[in-house]
Amino acid sequence: MFAQAETVATPEVLWWALVPLLVLAGAAVLLLTVASLVRRLPEWLPAAWTIVAGLAVLVSVVPLWNEVQDDGARSFLAGAVGIDGSTLFVTALLAVAVVATALLSRAYLTREDLPGVELYVLLLLSAAGGVVMASANDLIVLFLGLELLSIAVYVMAALHLRRIQSQEAALKYFVLGAFASAFLLYGIALVYGATGATGLARIAGYLSTTILLEDGMLMAGFGLLLVGLGFKVAAVPFHAWAPDVYQGAPTPVVAWMAAGVKAAGFAALLRVFVLTFGSWSGEWQPAVWGLAILTVLGGSVVAVVQTDVKRMLAYSSIAHAGFLLVGVQAASDRGTAAVLTYLGVYTLLACGSFAVVTVVGGAGDDRHGIDAYRGLGARRPWLAGAFAVLLLGQAGVPFTAGFVAKFGVIAAATEGHSYALAGIAMVSAAVAAFVYLRILVALYMEDRHLEDDDEAGAVEVDPAPWGPRIVITVSVALVLVLGVVPGPLVDLAKDAVPVLVGG
Amino acid sequence: MLGQYLPVVALLVLAALFAALSFVASRLLAPRRPHDRKLAPYECGIIPSRETPERFPVRFYLVAMIFIVFDIEIIFFYPWAVAHRGIGLFGLVAVLIFSVAVFESFVYLIGNGALEWGPIAEVRQAVSRRFGSEVVRPGVRQVGLEGRDAGNPTIEGGP
Repeated sequence: MFAQAETVATPEVLWWALVPLLVLAGAAVLLLTVASLVRRLPEWLPAAWTIVAGLAVLVSVVPLWNEVQDDGARSFLAGAVGIDGSTLFVTALLAVAVVATALLSRAYLTREDLPGVELYVLLLLSAAGGVVMASANDLIVLFLGLELLSIAVYVMAALHLRRIQSQEAALKYFVLGAFASAFLLYGIALVYGATGATGLARIAGYLSTTILLEDGMLMAGFGLLLVGLGFKVAAVPFHAWAPDVYQGAPTPVVAWMAAGVKAAGFAALLRVFVLTFGSWSGEWQPAVWGLAILTVLGGSVVAVVQTDVKRMLAYSSIAHAGFLLVGVQAASDRGTAAVLTYLGVYTLLACGSFAVVTVVGGAGDDRHGIDAYRGLGARRPWLAGAFAVLLLGQAGVPFTAGFVAKFGVIAAATEGHSYALAGIAMVSAAVAAFVYLRILVALYMEDRHLEDDDEAGAVEVDPAPWGPRIVITVSVALVLVLGVVPGPLVDLAKDAVPVLVGG
Repeated sequence: MLGQYLPVVALLVLAALFAALSFVASRLLAPRRPHDRKLAPYECGIIPSRETPERFPVRFYLVAMIFIVFDIEIIFFYPWAVAHRGIGLFGLVAVLIFSVAVFESFVYLIGNGALEWGPIAEVRQAVSRRFGSEVVRPGVRQVGLEGRDAGNPTIEGGP
């Protein structure tokens, strides 16, 4: 039986379509090898290497984007991996987040006196996992990408060796993340049981052509998949890990969690639910509807009572996940485009905000109470001004990119006749605005005299190194420009609608 | 439909039979000449004379991790070795990518001193810089010192 050497039909690989993934994974492996073999690497090299890799991915996305826009989406590797507009859009977002995180990490690692090749290697690997998720055309590949993304982030959360909170955050994230992976895998198994396929295109084909007499197994599969992905994007009630992990993990890593992990998670949600289970949207929409309401309300309301700015931003990132779910719930092309626009804007807002938090956090990464921000407007007007713009952007104030993002998802919800959901989303946007206003009040109104600082415990903020400075400047500039001229981003997101191609 | 699982069941039964037969055979066939050393829990190595320390030196875990690296490698190499004629160049490229990733982790482990047992000069210097000159000795030397030359007073918990 083993002696037969018949040729197995091997799947076709479109290497050119894999370039972003190969760049990220190759850069990670090469960096780790060089760092292991060369004793004393220049300190700037890993960060510079990571930034170059991120920019290379951004550059490589452009010809692929043109190819996909001209010739349509493709799938290869026996239909397991696909490439379409949304894949490339999310890949570009991940690359931007990688560059921003690398810029922040360099300053952070120097300040905290931490050894630092691993952070960059894990960042690149995690981004590679995100790209796999965004291009997954098969539930198993999706799961592989999710694990690659998550396992790297678990370790990244623990990388501040001397902060016990960092270790705690990593353990919590790991345990709950593993739990979520189990849910997801079980969901995949049930969907496979109900449809007989793991390929997204085949599942979609089966679901749109078959009438199931017994749909219990499929429903349970939907539910478990939603729970698993809900954990990853921190949707209420699966959000419990997020505040603790955001508070404890090194701040640049939090920027990656908020921007990169969320983008990859929503790319997966869009592919699996809107695209693959689209013909059954009547069945899963109510669940996502409930999840979206809980998430927007829960995130916004609980953020109000926080006193730690990092925790506050964690809850606000939960609220943002809620708004993204509002767009997913619409289950339409418009909803998908709105989610992608929102992801683009949120990537900028998250990177910029956590860059400010990195700077204010100071040596030891523990000045995150709202007290640390009191009177910052008088002492560091540029930093405070940038933070103010980013917070107004997160609140969704007009003439910032945040408004465009929120408007998009709510418009998609009303178009889908989910008026109650749109209303609740707007109300919680107003509640969330109170959170950001609280920080703004601390920044500008509660202006303390510098002489009182010693007894009041307020601290001087060190000037920002150039890495965070670049991130803050670019994100503030883009948030303002996209707020006035949202056209380019919105058009890109419209062209980035995902397509399933069978293999 | 369940018939396709028959080979699995057969293998299960065979494995159980093999284990049982091995036990019986060694009972029946092996010569019995017991003495103290042979009746000790381990036939080779040092006779345990105290409780196991609660904290193992971290290097043991590193060895376990290196083992896992090669373990996973074998899991993929074996089926590839069986099928490599059939899957040809595609399989070769796939296995090459996989082995680069596997050996990469091995390079990282070695580069970071996972196989350097005993005090490394750099570590020793770093430790003494941080904690003073009282250098902590790596744990591997402490295991099984009882019964040998007990003249070293720095051993923690020694006789």
